[in-house]
Amino acid sequence: MKVILPDQTVRVMEKPPGTVGALLHEIGITPLEVIVSRDGKLVPEQATIGKDDEIRIIRIAHGG
Amino acid sequence: MRYGSSGLHTGDKTVDLRAVPETTPVCACCREPAVMYQAVSGRYLCRTHLIRDVEERVRATIEESGQIHPGDRIAVGLSGGKDSTALLVILSRLLPKWPGASLVAITVDEGIAGYRADTIRAAETLTKRLGVEHHFVSFRDLVGDDLDTILVGRAEQACTICGILRKKALADAARNAGATSIATGHNLDDEAQSVLMNALRGDLPRLLRDTGTGRSAEFLPRIKPLSGIMEKEIAAYLFVQDFFLVLPECPYTKYALRAEVRTMLSEYESCHPGTMQHLIESKKTIQSYCAGTPVMEPLHHCKECGDPCSGNLCQVCRLRHSLGK
Repeated sequence: MKVILPDQTVRVMEKPPGTVGALLHEIGITPLEVIVSRDGKLVPEQATIGKDDEIRIIRIAHGG
Repeated sequence: MRYGSSGLHTGDKTVDLRAVPETTPVCACCREPAVMYQAVSGRYLCRTHLIRDVEERVRATIEESGQIHPGDRIAVGLSGGKDSTALLVILSRLLPKWPGASLVAITVDEGIAGYRADTIRAAETLTKRLGVEHHFVSFRDLVGDDLDTILVGRAEQACTICGILRKKALADAARNAGATSIATGHNLDDEAQSVLMNALRGDLPRLLRDTGTGRSAEFLPRIKPLSGIMEKEIAAYLFVQDFFLVLPECPYTKYALRAEVRTMLSEYESCHPGTMQHLIESKKTIQSYCAGTPVMEPLHHCKECGDPCSGNLCQVCRLRHSLGK
């Protein structure tokens, strides 16, 4: 599983943590501050992650 | 094979449930794959129903509080960031509901290196795509300097100074464009943060202030059609329609009390869905208890520029003095 973090760094994880929410918890990101895509499609935190998935975590920029 | 997350204990054996089929929750309305979970309503929504839900709630907010009327000319503060982008997209779709109403986008260039240029480009692209009239105004036009220059040696005052100048720039540009109201992209998170910040500062007048109706005929009414939509819903709404852009965050954000309040509230909301809405409801309750109570200072006019204000000098002229302008 490949995880693209908000700062664009890429982390490869051998063992998927289960769900998107579990992944965010594992790397210390508050779910409300990001949106997450799995293989390019937006998914909720309850969606599962497979070993071949590409997960992109996008930080929601604040302010205007 | 994809994997689920949890294990299950049955007697003295632990059954690993990690090896379960791929699951993406499905939409509560149509069973299509969900893109978003609304914790407060407990519903999963697909792309189509997320878009429909957000637009319908914005329409309800506008109609419940009479924010838009037929024939209105609405100046939309368009930074090019996600909130104002969503606001302009949604208003351009809802506008036919109010015959004769029109939109004009106004972008304020504060002059923040490494930040504003990207969002201004995004704003220009959007108004061309939507066919909306677009005006620009800058802090340099207003006070002769960009924000970066103004803030040398006083960066910790960034949000206060920027807020004063931005409000003035937007109001002047809106009047010049013939607008009857100003719409801003404040979302539910922003509103909840403001309630908590005003409570932390003990600022009751600001807590009670309602800019939606206009304090007097001298102020253009300011409306916040996205005030019932969470920031994350806005980001998701844009993402599923290819409107979402990864843009830089303002470099001065770190100096704001709001940044600390935002982090705290996001964590609370994640653990206790509805927290932000409860804060906003508490504000409305306090407003209802204080209805008719004079908490605002009487209105005067600035002795230098003539703008309505609460003292002898408006905030902008006071700022000009402190800048030696």
